[in-house]
Amino acid sequence: MLKVTNLQYQYKNAENIYSYELEVKPQEVVAILGQSGSGKSTLLDIVAGFVEPSAGSVILDEEELIGLPVEKRPITILFQNHNLFEHLSVQKNILLGVSKVLKDSIEEVEKVQAILKEVGLEEHEHKLASKLSGGQQQRVALARVLIRREPILLLDEPFTGLDEKTRLEMLDLVKKITLEHNLHTIMVTHEVEDCERIANKIYEMQDHSLVAR
Amino acid sequence: MMFKGLLRFKSAVLPGMLLSFTLLSFAFLLFYTLYLSQDGDIFTSIDERIYGLLKFTLYQAFLSTVLSLAVGILLAWALAHQSQFKGRGLLVALFSSSLVLPTLIVVFGLIGIFGRNGYLNQTTLFLFDTSFGSYLYGLGGILLAHTYLNASFASRALLHSFESIPKEKYKLAKSLNFSVFERFLYVEYPALKSTLLSIGSTIFLLCFTSFAVVLLLGGSPSYNTLEVAIYEAVKLDFDIGLALKLALIQLSISAVLVVFSSSFRVGLSNLKTSHTLIPWRETKTLQIVQWLIIGVFTLFFVLPLVVIVLDGIRADFTRILVEPLFVKSFMTSIMLATVSSILTVIIAVLLSNSRRNFSLSTRLEDHPFSKVLNAIIAFSGNLYLAIPSLVLGLGFFLMSQKYDGSPLLWSTLALLTANVLMSLPFALSVLAPAMQKTAQRYDKLAFSLGLTKRQRWFYVEYPYLKSALAYVFALAFCFSLGDLGIIALFGSDEFTTLPWYLYQLMGSYRTTDAAGVALVLLVLVLTVFILLPRLFRSERVKSN
Amino acid sequence: MIKTIHLLLLSLLLSITANASDTKPTLTIYTYDAFSASWGPAPKIKTAFKKEHNCTLKFVGVSSSIGALRKIQLEGKKTKADILLGLDTSIAQVAKKTGLFVPHELNTSSLDLPVPYEDDTFTAFDYSYFAFVYDENRVKNVPDSFEALASMPKDFKIVIQDPRSSTPGLGLLLWVKSVYGDKAGEYWKRLSPYILTITKGWSEAYGLFLKGEADMVLSYTTSPAYHIVDENKTNIKSVAFTDGHYGQIEVAAIVKSSNQKALAKQFLAFMHTQTFADIIPTANWAYPVVKGAKLHPAFDTLHRPKSMLLMDGSTVEAQRKAVVDEWLRAIAK
Repeated sequence: MLKVTNLQYQYKNAENIYSYELEVKPQEVVAILGQSGSGKSTLLDIVAGFVEPSAGSVILDEEELIGLPVEKRPITILFQNHNLFEHLSVQKNILLGVSKVLKDSIEEVEKVQAILKEVGLEEHEHKLASKLSGGQQQRVALARVLIRREPILLLDEPFTGLDEKTRLEMLDLVKKITLEHNLHTIMVTHEVEDCERIANKIYEMQDHSLVAR
Repeated sequence: MMFKGLLRFKSAVLPGMLLSFTLLSFAFLLFYTLYLSQDGDIFTSIDERIYGLLKFTLYQAFLSTVLSLAVGILLAWALAHQSQFKGRGLLVALFSSSLVLPTLIVVFGLIGIFGRNGYLNQTTLFLFDTSFGSYLYGLGGILLAHTYLNASFASRALLHSFESIPKEKYKLAKSLNFSVFERFLYVEYPALKSTLLSIGSTIFLLCFTSFAVVLLLGGSPSYNTLEVAIYEAVKLDFDIGLALKLALIQLSISAVLVVFSSSFRVGLSNLKTSHTLIPWRETKTLQIVQWLIIGVFTLFFVLPLVVIVLDGIRADFTRILVEPLFVKSFMTSIMLATVSSILTVIIAVLLSNSRRNFSLSTRLEDHPFSKVLNAIIAFSGNLYLAIPSLVLGLGFFLMSQKYDGSPLLWSTLALLTANVLMSLPFALSVLAPAMQKTAQRYDKLAFSLGLTKRQRWFYVEYPYLKSALAYVFALAFCFSLGDLGIIALFGSDEFTTLPWYLYQLMGSYRTTDAAGVALVLLVLVLTVFILLPRLFRSERVKSN
Repeated sequence: MIKTIHLLLLSLLLSITANASDTKPTLTIYTYDAFSASWGPAPKIKTAFKKEHNCTLKFVGVSSSIGALRKIQLEGKKTKADILLGLDTSIAQVAKKTGLFVPHELNTSSLDLPVPYEDDTFTAFDYSYFAFVYDENRVKNVPDSFEALASMPKDFKIVIQDPRSSTPGLGLLLWVKSVYGDKAGEYWKRLSPYILTITKGWSEAYGLFLKGEADMVLSYTTSPAYHIVDENKTNIKSVAFTDGHYGQIEVAAIVKSSNQKALAKQFLAFMHTQTFADIIPTANWAYPVVKGAKLHPAFDTLHRPKSMLLMDGSTVEAQRKAVVDEWLRAIAK
């Protein structure tokens, strides 16, 4: 269980304090709605470790995440863009999610092939990331989620800009992965339909605070 | 909280910061050595002669800057409005190569054309039976050479400014029926202002500390700048006291100028030009004017180089190339250039790596001292603009007298230091933005994936930095290869570089030999500068 | 124990003798570039000297005569120079004051000099007279005095040398001084517009003249001989000034820090031999100092002033700085 308790953040030079409180169970997708600039992405930044909160805690199964450096956090995060290294192949992009060495072992390569199947991108492992469509790129990003096997998945409006059909496919894929791999998923979006399609719980940013819908 | 942040990024920040402090301490040590070695009466006896030197140094720097900017604006304006013609890209690239042309070569070529017995006078004599006489030595020659070197570099930067003006503004001007002047005043000049200021201050600094040009074309002690006066005080008069006085004055003023101008000084970068500007053509008269400007300047720029080729081809290469002094000069030059380029690249990368830590929100931007540290590192990279070659040379010379060591060792040390410092400002202005960009783009992703340093460098940085690195290497290499500055103090038959050798040849009456060596130097520099970046093409960074 | 010492001594002896037989002593002479160049006197002198002395003779050329002195000063104790050759009597006092040179202990009373010169440290090896040189194919109207020079049309250009680095440069300064005395500064002000450029050394100036950049160059009455003998050209001439001609006696001295003082002394003595005197005229284009030396017939066509204007070395040294400063002020724009 992922618990965000009394999390507070204050932007420099701003007077408002943003506060967040929520819970995510395994296999749950929690959606966060709000306008641009309402502070919803900041929550993800805090959970991911890019930014330090002024108060509060983020606890996953008894372990406090605040204070851990970014690379030690048990999360995988998907951004709206720049999720992939465009000049590298699909395989390399995925492997960079886990490997710490420059050379890839055979087991790892096989793992990648298996995972690509799961996200519906078989046979694409040697393609250059820049040559993929928007939807395919996000599939690769999701493949990386799988290979990392981190319990928390954060999504920062990753499917904006994709066409309707692809977006729905991607959302369903996220739901599928969350269920099959027991992930705690937090998705930030401004599309109500996205929330209603796959979210178990929906929160909203109102007056700088996170409230349940 | 303060140190935690630093610790996290220690491997990125520390090397750069250490280097930065090393550079700064070196500068301080230099100043200190110079200060200690003089008698202490420096402030009381700034006599009329020194005052005259200072006045002239400032005066020629000011005039050179004004001229270079004026020519640069005209040329950039003409090029901006003639955006589609065959060979434009090549021409623009050629103009930016003026930065690496050895000053010695430029002067040699200019003498060949504008000298009393140069091609220009010979032509006018032949056609019109008049000669312009001799105007090259003295202030005229200095201004000419400075303009040659700086106007092209200025026009390159200004062209970029012109091309960043949104098309809409031009459409608006046209619909309001602006004249050419109004258009320039209201649409174009505002876009140029900041670049003018930054380029202008850089050019001023370069001309203020100019050495080779004044040495070769000054013509008499009355046209000396502080740098040349320092050189003469050491080599001609052996008056170290005077040299010190001049060096300290020079150093103080340059330092003040650098700090004062740092807020609006920016370097150059490997910019690509865009080709679309205004969708309609200029009036016929304007077109003719613009073509004339481009044509005249191209001629002005290319002819001296052509002269070097023409005169040089006739040289007896079978003899020149096996001359032992030539071979020694050649080998020394190549070795020094290689080592100093490698050092420059490494130092520039480390410094840039440190700097970007202080300007990115994903890293240490919010750190209490980040702005200060950023500025300090930036300043340490730009030291050269504050410490001109001869002052540096004097410092090394004094140190070599104090601490024993073979003269060869000191000479090599002096030259390597000078060459690295000289290339660093430009290297940083190319690498810092590039490294900033890659970090901005991929920091979050790389951190969240927990990439190791090696992975990060190999997969994220290097592919995008390749061509910038090659460009910096080529730049540093050419700067080193063509420099006639600090070698003037340390050059001898035992320690000689190509420019030094060429300078000796120019001073003897074996001028065909000089032309041959000049050609070798020119070919070498152009080859490295053009070829090297081409061999290392980076990944193109897609725009959002 | 005894055995070891024996071995050590033996090896020491061997190494010493080995060194002695392997390397010839090297005599290094710092001089101006025209002297050390392959087309100058250096090669011939090397050959002649090595015939009688087993050694390696090395000439190190510097772009100006006084520059060679400065080089020795810059190098300090570590200098490799054994001999400094190419200063003239006007600047020799400055060199002497540096304390970097030792007496030559030679008898120089039988030398053939235009003006008496005796010095315990510096000794003469050739001399010539300063003059302005021109190309009669390019210039028809040449001035024959300093006054005439300062009255030429404004586009007439001369190239001269810097008196701080070049002995001809200093020579011109002293020449003007001896003609104009206190009014020398005024004269320089009038001459200033005609000066194309001021070079560091003689070679650079002469090169500019040959390239056609100037109408006249400050050089020697003997310069035309080079063009006659080596190039078969008679169009280069020197102007005879009605003011008389200042001259230059070139000298050499032994460097104090030298390890080859004995050999150096032998070289200085060699400079006073017939062999040396035969090389000088057509290699350094100057008059030798040995009585009865023969000159190339081309020298007969040269202008030979009846007397040489030459101030005594100490007199020069006493006023040198002042004269140079006066000059610097006068030519300042």
